[in-house]
Amino acid sequence: MIYPQKLNSKKSNLLVRFGVLLSILVALILLLLNRHFKPRVPWAAIANGGIIYVWVILFYSIKKNINIAGHVLLQTLALSALTVFIDYQLGFKAWSLDIIIPVLIIIANVTMFVLTIISHKNYIKYAMYQLVISLFSILPIVLYIENITHNKVMCIIASIISGINLALSLVLCARDLKETVVRKFHM
Amino acid sequence: MKSKKEKKLYWRRLDNSAKIFPISAGRKYSTVFRLSVVLKEKINPKVLENAVNMALDQYKSFKVRMKTGFFWYYLEENQKSPIIEEEKDYPCQYINPRTNNNYLFKVTYFENKINIDIFHALTDGNNGTTFFKEIVYNYLELMYPEVFQEERRARNLEIVEYDTEDSYVKNYDKKAKSNASSKKAYVLRGNFLKLGAVSAIHEMIDLNALKEESKKHEATITQYLTAVLIYSIYEENYKKSKSKKPIKVCIPVNLKKYFASKTMSNFFSYITLEANMEDKNMDTFEKILEFVKVDFKNRLVEEEIIKTMSANVKLGNNPIVRIVPLELKKLLVRLSYIEIRKYTTITFSNIGRIGIIGKYQDYIDYFLFLIAPESVEKIKCSSCSFGNKMVFTFTSILDNNKIQKRFYEFLKERNIKVEIESNGVLDDISTEIK
Repeated sequence: MIYPQKLNSKKSNLLVRFGVLLSILVALILLLLNRHFKPRVPWAAIANGGIIYVWVILFYSIKKNINIAGHVLLQTLALSALTVFIDYQLGFKAWSLDIIIPVLIIIANVTMFVLTIISHKNYIKYAMYQLVISLFSILPIVLYIENITHNKVMCIIASIISGINLALSLVLCARDLKETVVRKFHM
Repeated sequence: MKSKKEKKLYWRRLDNSAKIFPISAGRKYSTVFRLSVVLKEKINPKVLENAVNMALDQYKSFKVRMKTGFFWYYLEENQKSPIIEEEKDYPCQYINPRTNNNYLFKVTYFENKINIDIFHALTDGNNGTTFFKEIVYNYLELMYPEVFQEERRARNLEIVEYDTEDSYVKNYDKKAKSNASSKKAYVLRGNFLKLGAVSAIHEMIDLNALKEESKKHEATITQYLTAVLIYSIYEENYKKSKSKKPIKVCIPVNLKKYFASKTMSNFFSYITLEANMEDKNMDTFEKILEFVKVDFKNRLVEEEIIKTMSANVKLGNNPIVRIVPLELKKLLVRLSYIEIRKYTTITFSNIGRIGIIGKYQDYIDYFLFLIAPESVEKIKCSSCSFGNKMVFTFTSILDNNKIQKRFYEFLKERNIKVEIESNGVLDDISTEIK
């Protein structure tokens, strides 16, 4: 005999499928209730935004061998999107753009700063995420220039921290950054 | 403390053939092939793990993982060790790059057998065999150090560094024109096996008897087996349909026979035999064999092989293809690939004799070579030989084995000794064959 008698059949991830189906069902029920009771706050949309956020994070987290810098980037982007969505649902007072996104950018940059300091020998693994976070960090300034946000202080603080972080990365790991760009963008 | 080396992880572009595999591959189209060796005794997993790690230290090109770039995937040095497990899946399953510590191959064992499943983006059957043989040599040397002391010393154990050249790009002809046929191929009919099962049926053929029979017809073994295969398809599948499309058999060709190359990456091309059954009135085996011999003669020539290879290189080097972002490439390739694959009925890959040196042969029963079937090419065939045993393997996702059975009966009728082994998926029929 050269093969095991029982071989695995197709692995269908039933638990995940059941979870997604249940989430869709809950989301639909929430929307129906919302429509029926017509509350002042569209809480069904906010709750559904939360459900989507949870699934995005869950799908990313259940993958093995995930880069820690990848988590930082994903959380920054996902939380930014979620808060903008909630802000929009509550009448768009721009608090997400004035406060939350700059704070998220500050946290992301400080985290990347710490990562760079403690493991700059492995920096090549984080380089790409660092570049994307730096690119995203320009957002508050752009929004301020375009007159969409009004909190100048937060924009400046976020931009300075992001600038310092990028400068430090360039000083410590310029070669790695260049190498990463060459690898990722080879044609 | 982490070494300075960790900072500079080696990386390389995918070779020209490999570019397409990660873009098109998925659970239903794995592009994985398997090599197995059946030894004369039970496998020791711990020793196997050491043997694999030793082989990886020697063949650096295999110690890599796949990374995603903006335009293409690429390979990067992998600092982890692969995970060796007992066999529990069907052969040639999709290798999820996120499992097995990101390796693009998977080593498993069962009873007396060692398997290596290799994702085609990493290498081809010929180079895969070289690496697999190294694992087998290491395994036997670790199991019996006193027996193989001299052999180990005599073996060339030079470290084969990472590949730096793409032999396709080095050898292709910019002016060569494509010779690809525009005719779609006959697609095998039948119901699929349930739950993603893959059947593997190995027909173990007496090599001397097969050689003699082929010689009688002035054909090579590959030509003879190809003709038997076309005949079996014709009798068991084609005749029952009203299709007028040709039976097209894709035969991979090892390009190292035509060009000097030391690459351990892919370096193969293929020829496609196009049997127009109705037009040429090919209703007997003899007529089919005559056609196969002539078509082989016409197609298996350097000029034709260069044309096929060059067309593929030109496509990979096309500036428009190159600037399309990877995610868009994936979308376009996956949408078009089902259609593209309809230009082949079946693939038959013969890697030939697996040469094992000296005393090592005494510990080996035979080798197996398998390639992954998929939704369009529902059956794929492969073969290799060791000693006087040629193992012709059918891997299939169809729920019947009529073609396999006809193939077996044909050889038996010609007094060629054939034994059957299978993975039991089509058990009732496999036993029926016996």
